[in-house]
This record gives sequence, structure tokens and C-alpha cells, in this order.
Amino acid sequence: MIGSVQVIPAATLRAAATVVCHGGLYRLTAMFANDERMINGSFAIYVLFFSKEDAAFKTIKAIIKQDDLLEFPSLTPLMAAAAWYEREIHDLFGLTPVGHPDLRPLVLHENWSQGRYPLRKDFEPDSVESGENIDYPVPPVQGKGVFEVPVGPIHAGIIEPGHFRFSQAGENIINLEAKLFFAHRGIEKAVEGLSFSKALFQTERICGACSVANTLSYVQAVESLTNTEVPLRAEYLRVLAAELERLYNHVGDIGNLCAGLGFAAGISNGSRLKEQLMRLNERLTGNRFLRGWITLGGVTMDITQELVQDIARLLAGITDELNDLLGLLRDNDAFLDRVNTTGILPQQAALDLGVVGVAARASGVDFDIRRDFPYAAYRSLSFHVPVYTNGDVAARLWVRADEAAESIKIIDQLLEELPNGKLTGELGSVEPYQAAFSMTESPRGSNLHWLMAGENNTIYRYFVRSASYPNWPALTVAVPGNIIPDFPLINKSFELCYACLDR
Amino acid sequence: MVSNMEQMTTILISLGYAFALVLAAPLVSGIIKVSKARLQNRRGPSLFQVYYDLFKLLQKDSVVSPTTSWIFTCAPYIYFAGAFGAAALLTSGDLFALLYLLVAGRFFLALASLDAGSSFGGMGGSRELYISVLVEPVLLVTLLTVAARAGSTKLAAMSAAAASTPFSLPYIFAAVAFLIILVAETGRIPVDNPDTHLELTMIHEAMVLEYSGRRLGLIFLAAASKQLVFILLFTVLFLPWQSGGLSPVMVFFWLVVKVVLTAVALAVLETSTNKMRLFKVPGFMGLAGMLALLALVAQ
Repeated sequence: MIGSVQVIPAATLRAAATVVCHGGLYRLTAMFANDERMINGSFAIYVLFFSKEDAAFKTIKAIIKQDDLLEFPSLTPLMAAAAWYEREIHDLFGLTPVGHPDLRPLVLHENWSQGRYPLRKDFEPDSVESGENIDYPVPPVQGKGVFEVPVGPIHAGIIEPGHFRFSQAGENIINLEAKLFFAHRGIEKAVEGLSFSKALFQTERICGACSVANTLSYVQAVESLTNTEVPLRAEYLRVLAAELERLYNHVGDIGNLCAGLGFAAGISNGSRLKEQLMRLNERLTGNRFLRGWITLGGVTMDITQELVQDIARLLAGITDELNDLLGLLRDNDAFLDRVNTTGILPQQAALDLGVVGVAARASGVDFDIRRDFPYAAYRSLSFHVPVYTNGDVAARLWVRADEAAESIKIIDQLLEELPNGKLTGELGSVEPYQAAFSMTESPRGSNLHWLMAGENNTIYRYFVRSASYPNWPALTVAVPGNIIPDFPLINKSFELCYACLDR
Repeated sequence: MVSNMEQMTTILISLGYAFALVLAAPLVSGIIKVSKARLQNRRGPSLFQVYYDLFKLLQKDSVVSPTTSWIFTCAPYIYFAGAFGAAALLTSGDLFALLYLLVAGRFFLALASLDAGSSFGGMGGSRELYISVLVEPVLLVTLLTVAARAGSTKLAAMSAAAASTPFSLPYIFAAVAFLIILVAETGRIPVDNPDTHLELTMIHEAMVLEYSGRRLGLIFLAAASKQLVFILLFTVLFLPWQSGGLSPVMVFFWLVVKVVLTAVALAVLETSTNKMRLFKVPGFMGLAGMLALLALVAQ
């Protein structure tokens, strides 16, 4: 997948982006930089736009010559979705988005030594020392009776680190600031120079709950670069992996949501069903997160006819039990009272921030990569994409519930139609400095991986935009106006991943 | 001299009861925990886990924030003393004295929650007082239904009156109201959630987040004791079968059965629903208040 690429000098970036986005057909999907000084003596800013109606991507590549001022006009005043991408470029490459309203550090925190940009090619990872703490101002909310409540980065449950700053008047939340990226691992840097097959192991471990989606995006990008033909049976088995991942995530998340409001029957049933699904994963692949199944050019393991029957039988049971669990929720006024109208994400905000996945489809944004830009075997499978318009906790819950049911149908369908054939195709070779990207629909939304090849089938630059990346800022839009005790519930309904940011 | 002796005996007996109650209270907590676990398809902890936890905590050192004052260090003792005193008053004391002791303990705990200056503590304290403002008037009206029949606020007289006319209409209204109070006072779903780790949703637990070690143990023990005091008030005043010439052993036996049944009922109640939105609590308490008023009028 490459799409059209328009190469322009960085100074005209804003004008070019305005032209592409005119009429609202194309929307910002991702934005990142690349240090191409070794190749052509310049930095490049890549801006990716996607249109559902055209089912097409447009890429703008803005060039910053290395001897010029290292800056480019910020797109954030035009489109809010660019805000995080530009802060990240500023942190990791030292390229300044001129006119950005908020250039506080995003990825690198206050104690990072200034003037060191880890994703530049001349950065030496071994020489990093902590720097002086710089200021990280959190915008204050002032007024009589307004309090600030800091929460985290260390939390009481077994979850990842994130700092939340609530400004509250009584129990009402006026503003929420989220500070994340506490555990950034530099995986994008670490895979530079590695062969495609070695980098696969890092990719698979970007995140636990989206292992399949991340791996699939990566291998598809590599296959697109190397013009590799993937056998049909492997395409089907990849969809099986992706849907099993969606299923255990959604079922687990439905149970987890109940923990946000203390509904014990929901919590225990959700975890029981999730456990059954994860044990199935383990039977299929030897790994509860389905790791090690998807590989470059295809899949590593086949499934037997006996396994096919076992999967179908288990999923039939899960369907019934999931319906029972959802029945407990759907007809329960005490439950509905908590989830209806709580944490509303307006449709316009979802569009402006480029929100993806469950959160988008619960706010009336009808967008699913599996249908709108199909990959693997999704082209030949028929399925329904549930969309709700209320944008509240309940809507996100019902989207998950419907998608889980839909996943089971997809799996039944593909097991029925499973074609015979080889499991892997031969990987081709690639000219240096070619780029390609791939997008998949993870349980949390569209997941984009962009790749530029170096010499000898290695990686020159790897960029990962997980589904959680555009969705985190949406949380801070949905929360204000609610009361503090409802925050955990709203947070769980978005079910955002920290590790996917900290790649 | 004789009356002095009698008073001494009464005091000693009351203290004995209070000790027994404090010793038994963690078991009741354990019964609730185990019942909840079974209802949720879990194996659950041992019935005696609460004792093990208390034993562990009471041996541990307590970490105290340097920004706190004497209130923080003293509050657990005052809270425990309140619960212990209430337990001692159960057999021979006065209703108002019992309630005031418990309220005094809560007041100091709420003060202590503000003392460390942490955000969760303040939220917990303010929510606890918000709930208690709703609970306490209803609690009084409910108990006055029984007191009116007895013509006295002495707990002994009240239990005798309750035993003589069990399950009359006003008592049933009052019993339902008291059950709602019981749920709120013991920090249970749908008002509070004792099992959550989500600080932002906590009420009672948020108040005591700063405590550790033996002080935390003391707070747990006091909360369990307070819970048993309320369960006993409920069983004695609103489930009164034990009168009618039974031997003391049988009276005690039936009391234990009723306490266990109430504990299991609490677990069922807690598993069957979810926590309500914080600002829906007044409506819930309003319901209890209406029932209590009806009971008083019917009386």
C-alpha cells in the first residue's frame, strides 16, 4: 500500500494540506518525520490522509533541507488531530512546528537532556544521561472552590503508568489533562538496521492485547515492499487470528466495564469467558496472545480439522453465554442508569481528532478498515459494521457487544470456506529507501505501520501509529462535565492502551 | 454500696459483650466476603482471612506523612473507641449515646482524611459526610419507631418492645428503611463499593487510604465492629423471634443464625446490583426516609 505521494518544500506544507483536506473528504490519519540526510541531505515530514469515500490514501512529503532552519508550519491550527504528531516530531527529531499552540514535551519527559533527538540517525543511544528537570506547566483552572486532583502515574490496579490531572468543582470535572508516555521503549529506533525477520519479534511485543494487529500491520507493510504473494490459506488464518484477538479483547472489555461500576456478576462472567478464549488461543498457537502465528509471507502454523470443530463448538458456547451476560446488562435499570449519557464523545469531536475504532463507531463515525480498505481475507468475507450515535459509555459497550457477535460469525464463515494450500510465500527483495505502509483494524481501531527499507532488506525507518494514539486525546474531551467517580467507567469504555503509545 | 456493686457488674458485663463483639466482628466480615465470592463463581478467601489480615496489619509499623497533625495519629483510636463503646452500650445503654459514639468516630476519621492533604482523602471525607448527612436523620427516625412503642430510648426496653410485637406493619416499614441504612453505613453496593481499587470512586476506602500498618488494622477492626453493631440492631429490633421463654443458649443460637443470615443477605444484595451514581444516593436515602416516616406515623 503506497498511494499517491506529493513532494513539496516544508514551507508550503500548510497550503498543500489545505488543498488535500478541502471539502472534508480526506482526513489526517498519521504524521511523522524521517531523517533522510544520508540519502538526500534533508529531513522529511510525511503527512498521510485517508478518504473513506475514495478508499484511497494521499501522502504529502514535506522536505526540510538540513542546512535550512529546522522548522515547518504547524498543521494543528488547521486540524486538531495533528497536535500530538507534531509534538512527537518536535521531541524526537528536533524539527519545530511553527505556530503550534502547545509545544510541551510529549514523548520525552522533563528530565531528558535537551538538544538530543533520539530518532535522528546521528543519535547515540549509549550516551544518554538524564538532564536537568525542565518545567512542565499544566494549565490551571481558577475560580472559587476549584480543586486540582492529581492521579497517577502509579495506580492501584495492575495497569500501566499515566498521570491524570483533574480540575474539579465539587464532584464535577471541569478539565482533564493526561500526561502519558512514561514507559517509552524506543522500539521504532531499536529496529532500525535490523532485518525484517528480526524486527518481527519487537513488533509482536509492542503491546500484549494488540499483538496480532501490530504484527499483521507490520508483515503486510513488508510484504507490500517486497511484492510478496501471501497464500490464500494464510490470508484466512490471519483473519482467524485477528478476529480471535478482537473477540477476547471485546469480551474481556465488556466484563471490565462492569468493574467501573462495581457489578460483580458482570466482572466474573466477563473474565471467565475471556479466559476460555485465551485458552483457545494457547491451544492454537502455544501463546495466550496468539504470538508467533503470523510471520513474514504467511503464517507459521496450520490448524487441523479437529481444531476447526473445537473452535466452532467453543464459539457456539461463548455466543450463548455472552448473550446471557448482555441480557443481564440490557434489562438492568441500575446498570443502564450508570452507562447511558455518561462520557459523551460528540461526533464532531471524534471526526476532528481523527478518532478510530470502537470509540468512533459509537459516536456515529461509520469507519472500519476491514470494510473500507480491506486486507487479508476480509475482501471475500461478508460482515456488518455496527454503528451507534449516542457516543456515551453505553454506545461503546453495545458496539463491542455487536462486534463480538460479528467476529464469531466471521470466524464461522472463514472456517467453512477455509481454502487449502501453502502457509507461506517466498519473500522478495527490495530496493533500498522504498517505503510502504499497511493498516489493519485492531480491537481498538485502525492500526497503521509505515516502513522504509534500508540496504540489504533491513529497516531504515519504522513508524507505528496504533489505534490508541488518536483516541487518547478524545478521552480528555469526553470526560469534562461528568463527575469524578464516573471517570474510571468512562476510561474503561474507551479501553485505551498505554503500551501502544510507548512503542 | 450494693448499687455500686450492681453498676460495676453491669459495666463489666457490658465490657465483656463489647470484647466478644469485637472478636466476632471479623468473622462476620469473612462470612460476607466468602458468600460474595461464591455468588460470583469464585472460591474466595478463608472465612478467617480477615483475622489473618488484621493480625498481619497490627504487627506492622505505620507510615505517617510528615505533614499530618495529632488528629491523623489519634483518629484510628477514637474511631475504634467509638465502635467499642457502641458495642458496650448495645445491651444496657441508651440509643442516642450509641449513635453519638459512632458519629464521633466518623467525625474524627473525616477530619483525619483531610489531614494528610492528599486529594483522595479529601474526596473520601467529603463524600462520607455527604452520605452521613443523608443517613443519620433517617436512621434516627427509623429507630424512633421502635422507641416510641417502647416509650424509652433505652436499648433494652426497645428490644423488649420489639420482641412483644414482632412484624407489625410499622416495624416492617422501619425494617426496610433500616436495611437501606445498613447498606449505606457499612459502605456497601449500591452506595459504596468495599472491593474496588479505583480510588476515584471510593467513599469510605478513600478516607483511609493514607493509613497503613497497625492504625489501618485498627480502622478495619473498628469498621467491622461497627458493621456488627448495625447488624445486631437490625436483628434484635426488626427480626425479633427470640422471646418466649427460650433458654439463654437457644437465644444466643438464634441470634447467631440471624446474624449469619443477615450477612448472607447483604452479600446477595451486593452481588445483585451495581453501584449507583453518587448523586442518586439522596433519592435512595429519600426512599428510606419516606418508609421511616410512614413507619413512625403508622406507629
